[in-house]
Amino acid sequence: MKITLTVNGKQHELDLNGNETLLEVIRDHLKLTGTKSSCDEAECGSCTVIINGRSALSCITIACDCDGFSVETIEGLSSGEELHPIQQAFLDKGAVQCGFCTPGMIMSSKALLDNNPRPSKEEIKKSLDGNLCRCACYQKIFEAVYTAADKMAK
Amino acid sequence: MAENKKDNLYLNPVGKNVPRIDGRGLVTGQTKFTYDIKLPNMLYGKMIRSPHPHALIKNIDTSKAQKLPGVKAIVTAADTENIKFGSNEFFFPHTVDQLPFESEKVRYIGDEIGAVAAVDEETAVAALKLIDVEYEILPAVFDAVEAMKPTSPSIHSHVRNNIGLILPVNFGNSERGLRESDYIREDIFYTQSAAHACMETHVCVGQWEEFSNKITLWISHQAPFKVREALAKCLKMNLNSIRVIKMASGGGFGGKLEMLPMDFAACLLSKKASGLPVKMCYTREEEFSFSRRKHNMIYKLRSGVKKDGTIMAITGEVIADGGAYCSYGPTVLAAATMRIFMVYNIKNLKISGYRVYTNTPISGAIRGFGGVQSGFSIESHMDMLADGIGMDPIEFRLKNITGPNMVTTNKMIISSNGLRECIEKVTEACDWKNKYRKQSHICRGIGIGIAADVMGSKMYKSHESAGSIIKIEEDGSVYLFTGAADTGQGSNTVLSQIAAHELGVDFNRIKCTSADTEITPFDTGSFASRVTFISGNATLLAAKDAKKQILEIVANELKLDAEILDIQAEEVINKDSGSVVMTFSKALELCYSFNYGKQIIGTGSFNPRTTPIDFRTGEGNVSGSYGFEAQVAEVEVNKETGEITVLKLWDAHDIGKAINPQSVEGQIEGSLIMGLGYTFFEDLKMRNGKVMNANFANYKVPRSINIPPMESIFVETKDPQGPYGAKGMGEAALLPTSAAIANAVFDAVGIRLKELPFTPDKIIKALKEQELNDI
Ligand code: FES
Ligand code: FES
Repeated sequence: MKITLTVNGKQHELDLNGNETLLEVIRDHLKLTGTKSSCDEAECGSCTVIINGRSALSCITIACDCDGFSVETIEGLSSGEELHPIQQAFLDKGAVQCGFCTPGMIMSSKALLDNNPRPSKEEIKKSLDGNLCRCACYQKIFEAVYTAADKMAK
Repeated sequence: MAENKKDNLYLNPVGKNVPRIDGRGLVTGQTKFTYDIKLPNMLYGKMIRSPHPHALIKNIDTSKAQKLPGVKAIVTAADTENIKFGSNEFFFPHTVDQLPFESEKVRYIGDEIGAVAAVDEETAVAALKLIDVEYEILPAVFDAVEAMKPTSPSIHSHVRNNIGLILPVNFGNSERGLRESDYIREDIFYTQSAAHACMETHVCVGQWEEFSNKITLWISHQAPFKVREALAKCLKMNLNSIRVIKMASGGGFGGKLEMLPMDFAACLLSKKASGLPVKMCYTREEEFSFSRRKHNMIYKLRSGVKKDGTIMAITGEVIADGGAYCSYGPTVLAAATMRIFMVYNIKNLKISGYRVYTNTPISGAIRGFGGVQSGFSIESHMDMLADGIGMDPIEFRLKNITGPNMVTTNKMIISSNGLRECIEKVTEACDWKNKYRKQSHICRGIGIGIAADVMGSKMYKSHESAGSIIKIEEDGSVYLFTGAADTGQGSNTVLSQIAAHELGVDFNRIKCTSADTEITPFDTGSFASRVTFISGNATLLAAKDAKKQILEIVANELKLDAEILDIQAEEVINKDSGSVVMTFSKALELCYSFNYGKQIIGTGSFNPRTTPIDFRTGEGNVSGSYGFEAQVAEVEVNKETGEITVLKLWDAHDIGKAINPQSVEGQIEGSLIMGLGYTFFEDLKMRNGKVMNANFANYKVPRSINIPPMESIFVETKDPQGPYGAKGMGEAALLPTSAAIANAVFDAVGIRLKELPFTPDKIIKALKEQELNDI
C-alpha cells in the first residue's frame, strides 16, 4: 500500500504492507530513532509524536491510516545548533536524567504549548499524565515546560 | 573580568548547575541507546524459557526449530561450559548458583534453558514454539515462610530448608537490654516485591569476531565491567577478549547490575551464527516477568526502651523471599539487617536475616538494596516506641542517633555525619512544631523517617576500585576516561565538573568517555551510591596528576618552583605573588613544543579504606564514608474512601558537598517519587510463581498527576575523604519514605500501617478495626 507522509516538513512516499505502526515506519523505514518505545501498548508515552498538530502515540497508530498527514518527531524540533525553547528548558532545568522518556515528554509538551501557549502548572501536570518518567524528573519537567511557555510567549 | 569569571558556569564548575554534558544529544533524540542499535545483517534473539516453576529437564529437542527458515542459531547448555555465575562470589561463594542455561532443572517460570537467533523477532518467537522440552514437573513452593518448612520441596540441593543465606547480626546482650527496658513492643512488617521498570527494557547486542575470537557486547547497563567478568568466566575467555560497551542507558535502578543469561546468549548465538550480530531486547512483559525484582520481606522487631527514650535493645528477624537464585541476595540482606547501625547508636542488637529460595522470579538488587524494606519497618517501629513512652518522635530520634567522628557498636567508622542537622533542618522547614498532633481534626498528619547510606560496600569484588584517565591535547582539549557507568544519574557530568575544577579549566574543554571495558579504566559500577565518592576521587587524582605534569614543564621553562604554581580559571598562576604566569592554552603549547614534546596523561585509581565485614556478626567498616538524611511527609487521609493524599515531602540530606546541586535535587526527587510509588501502589502480583501484572496498565508507577510538592534541603558536611567533600546520595532518599508516610498517617487518623503498599482497602480496614477497638 502506497502512502504519503510528511515528517518534519519532508514528504515521503512509502510502500507499506499495511499493518506497520507509525512507530515502526518512523524508526525503521525513516531511521529517525529519536522516538522511543517503552511498552508498545499505549501505556507509557515514550513513542509520542505530533500528528496534524495533536499529540499521538505512534506505537498504536497504523501508518497507513496517516496517509497525507503531517507528523512531527523530536528530530524536527531543533534547527542546527539552535535548540527549541522546550529542549533548552529541559536542559537548563535539569529535566533530563536517563533521557529515554525525554523525546516523548518533549513532544507531549510541544503539543500542549502549540494548543495552549500559557498553561497553568495544573494543566501541565494533567497533560503529561500519559508520559511515564521512571527517573521521576517530573517536578523539573513541569518547571521546564512552564519556563519554555514563558520564553515562547515573549 | 574577575566578576565575569565568577559568574561563568563553566569555570570552577564544582557546586554549580552545569547542564548535563550529554544533554543536547538526549533532548534532540540523537543519542543512541542500545535499543536504537541496528547493525547490518543483525539477528534477533529470544530466550528459551521454562513454563513451569519447578521441573526436571528430561530432554531438549531443537531439531524442528532448526529447520524453520530464518532461524540462524540455537544454543542450549550443551553449547556452554556449564559454569555458574553470581554476584557476591568473594564473600559468599556458595551463593554462586545460576547457570547461563540450565540443563537439569528449572526453578522458576522463565528460567533460561537456551536461546534462538533468527532474521527477525517474529521468526525467533515462532522458533520457540517448535522447541520440544520434556519436563518432569516437581512440586513447587512460592512463599518464603512455607519454603523454610522441612516438608517443602527442595529447590537447590546444596542448602537445607531452602535457606540460601543466613546473616546473623549480634552485638551486646539483647536479653539483658530488654530486661532493663521500661517499655517493650513487638511489631511485624510486611513489604511487597516490586520492579525496576526502567523505561529502556533490558537490551544488548552481541557480536563475535571470528578472526580474533573476540566478543563485543553493547549494552544498557550499570556495571559493564561486571558483565565482562561474568562473560569471561562463563565463556572461559580472557578479560581482554571481551569488550563490553555501555551505551546511553534508559535507567537502571539496580536492575542492570549483573550479567543476565540474555547477555550471555547474545554473545554465544553470534558465535554460532558465524559472527552475525545478535540483538536481545526484552518486551515490557518480559521485563516485568523475568528480570530481577525486589525481595519481599517479613520484618519482625522486638525492642525495648527506657522511659527517658534510650534504646536498650533491638531484636528481630528478617525473612526475605529470594526467588529461584541468589543474585545480589547477600548485599540486599546485609543492607536490610546492618544499616541500622549507621543511623542509631545501639549497644544491644540481635537481628537474624534469612534469604529463602522459592520458585518465583529471582529477587536481586533494586535502588536502596534491602534498605527500603528495613527503612519502612525500623522507622515505623521507632515511631511506635517513642509513642509508647509518650515521647516526641523527633526528640526520641535526636536522643538515639549516631553523630560525627564516632565508631559504631559494629565498628563502622563514621567521620562526617550531618544527621542531627538534617533532622533539625527538615523539622524547621516543615513547621513540625505547629503541625505535629495539631491537625487530626482535619485528618491531616505529619511524620518523620531518617536513614543513612554507604558509598560502596566492597561486597561484589572485595575491592571497590575506580579508575580515571585524563588526557590533554596540544590545543588544551581534555579527554576524561572513566569506568563509571552513567545510567542517567549524571555521573559523566559530575566527574567532568570535578576534572575541570581541579585542572582549573573551562568545563567545555572536557569530553567524557565512560564505561567501555576496552578503553576506559576499571570501575565496579553504578550502585551503592558509590560513584561521586569513589569514581569522583579517582578523577580528582587523575586531574591532580595531569596538572602536576603541566606545571612541572611550566616551572622548568620559567625556572620556577612547580610547587608555587597552580592552574585556576584557565590561567597558570603564581600562588605566592598572585600573578598570572601564562594562560592554560599557552602552557599546553609549551608541553607539546619542540623541546618538551610531553604528552599529558594523568591517571587516578581510588579504593576507599575500609575493613572487611565479619558476616558471622556484622562487624566491620563497610564504607569509606556515610551519607545521612531526614525526611518528613505531610498527608491527608480521606476516611470515606481510604485514600491518602501526600501534601508535601521534605528531605534534608547530608550530601557532603553538592557538586551539581541540580543533579542532587534530581536524585532526591527521583528517589522520593520511587518511594512514593512503592508506598502506595507498586506491587508485583504473583500467582503460582507467575507475574500477573506484567504491564504498565496493571503495574502502576508514579505519573505526573501523583507528584506532590517536594523540597530538598542540603546539609553540606564536607566529608574529609570525599572529592571536594562530596558524598554519594543516589539511594538514601528512598529509604525512609514509606515510614515517614506511615507515621504521618498515624498522626492524622491514629492507625498504624504495617503492611505495604498502603492501598485504600487497607486503610478502610484499619479504620474499621480502630472504631471497633474504641467501642
Ligand atoms: S510505546 Fe507507545 S505508549 Fe508506550
Ligand atoms: S529521564 Fe529517565 S525515564 Fe525520564
